[in-house]
Amino acid sequence: MSGTNVWTRSRERMRRFPELFAQCSGEAAAYGKCVTATTTGIQELRKDLCGKEFDALKTCFVTAAKKGVK
Amino acid sequence: MNNAIGSRFLNGSCVCRRVLKIGSVRLLVPQQHDAAHLQRNVMTAHSTFPPVKELSSKIRCSQWTEIQRQLSGRAGGTMNVFDRTMKRRQKKWAASLQDSDKYDYLRDEVGSRVADRVYDIARTFPLALDIGCGKSHIAEHLHKEVVEQLFLTDISEKSLRNTRESEIPTRCVMADEEFLPFKENTFDLVVSSLSLHWINDLPGALRQINQVLKPDGVFIGAMVGGETLYELRCSLQLAELEREGGFSPHVSPYTAVTDLGNLLGQAGFSMLTVDIDEIQVHYPGILEVMSDLQGMGESNCAWNRKSMLHRDTILAAAAIYQEMYGSENRSVPATFEILYMIGWKPHDSQAKPAKRGSANVSFGDLSKIGQPSTKDKS
Repeated sequence: MSGTNVWTRSRERMRRFPELFAQCSGEAAAYGKCVTATTTGIQELRKDLCGKEFDALKTCFVTAAKKGVK
Repeated sequence: MNNAIGSRFLNGSCVCRRVLKIGSVRLLVPQQHDAAHLQRNVMTAHSTFPPVKELSSKIRCSQWTEIQRQLSGRAGGTMNVFDRTMKRRQKKWAASLQDSDKYDYLRDEVGSRVADRVYDIARTFPLALDIGCGKSHIAEHLHKEVVEQLFLTDISEKSLRNTRESEIPTRCVMADEEFLPFKENTFDLVVSSLSLHWINDLPGALRQINQVLKPDGVFIGAMVGGETLYELRCSLQLAELEREGGFSPHVSPYTAVTDLGNLLGQAGFSMLTVDIDEIQVHYPGILEVMSDLQGMGESNCAWNRKSMLHRDTILAAAAIYQEMYGSENRSVPATFEILYMIGWKPHDSQAKPAKRGSANVSFGDLSKIGQPSTKDKS
């Protein structure tokens, strides 16, 4: 149970998730709004319906993650 | 709420043994007190859940589960929704965590509420059983004037070794909730807190509980059910649907509260009481919800669960959870619906419904109650 292995590394990455996610609250809200709009409207949710919003969120998240590594 | 937690003494000894020990059979029939009767009548009065034709919501098995059922080779079981070996492993893992006490908040709360319901019954129980005790979250709230001796059972040996100290003399037995290793008519009281929701054959387990109870013994249980964790379920479903084009269950199926009365009735219990408590816990985000559930040993172990969650889906679900349910201070709620059930093993001394046709007042006259009737005047 000592040293680093794939489990400790991936757990360490997951531990940083909330911090990184908080840096992208604007993009997250935009994506969330896009998806939740389908639960009330006529528009049905399908794959990649909010692809654009998700790409923005992911780009922001990945950038934030890279910033943290340095 | 925890009116009865006084100072605790150290004479509660706990010896873990793998050998299945049969409890000493006491043939004392509890004396009937008027107070106890009154108490129970009050409780029966608010057990008003209409019987529903559906047996249990757990019967919702997919095609895939059908195949798994044959593979698992468990003969006799009518339902096989959960992977019990996986559950045991999850509990073992959770109990071996360094900071496992950090995740006990829900069990502590529900355990104290179950203990509260034990105090509602004006009786002393010579021998009691706790099914799925975890770290004995109920026993620490009980006094030895109420329960004189307690048997603790759990499927995880690790958590039995970590049981808390209690003033009641206890014995630990490692046993599966689905196969109770006790003689019939042994216990005066059976309690269970937050473990019955992982049982495959709930009707069978309840029948077994009924069997190990003495006549006029009582079962007090709590399990999660109903709409528990609907926030997590919905956000994961929406996220998977949008990202991957389809979804699979990540939150296990729960028993509906409307089914519970029927289940208890079929297991042979009488004078049923069923009620729901909603506990809402606020978390910083979706990841904290999931890691806390894991720490509680409550990760999903349904056979039809999907073993992985795509990283894009986690990110999407986090955004949806935040947007749909998040509050202004950026915390997100997770709802736990706790179903409490109380059932009595039938006994001749118990109050029974009056005979059909024995009423001498019409329900049509209900509105006239309180008004002086004309007959009295004459």
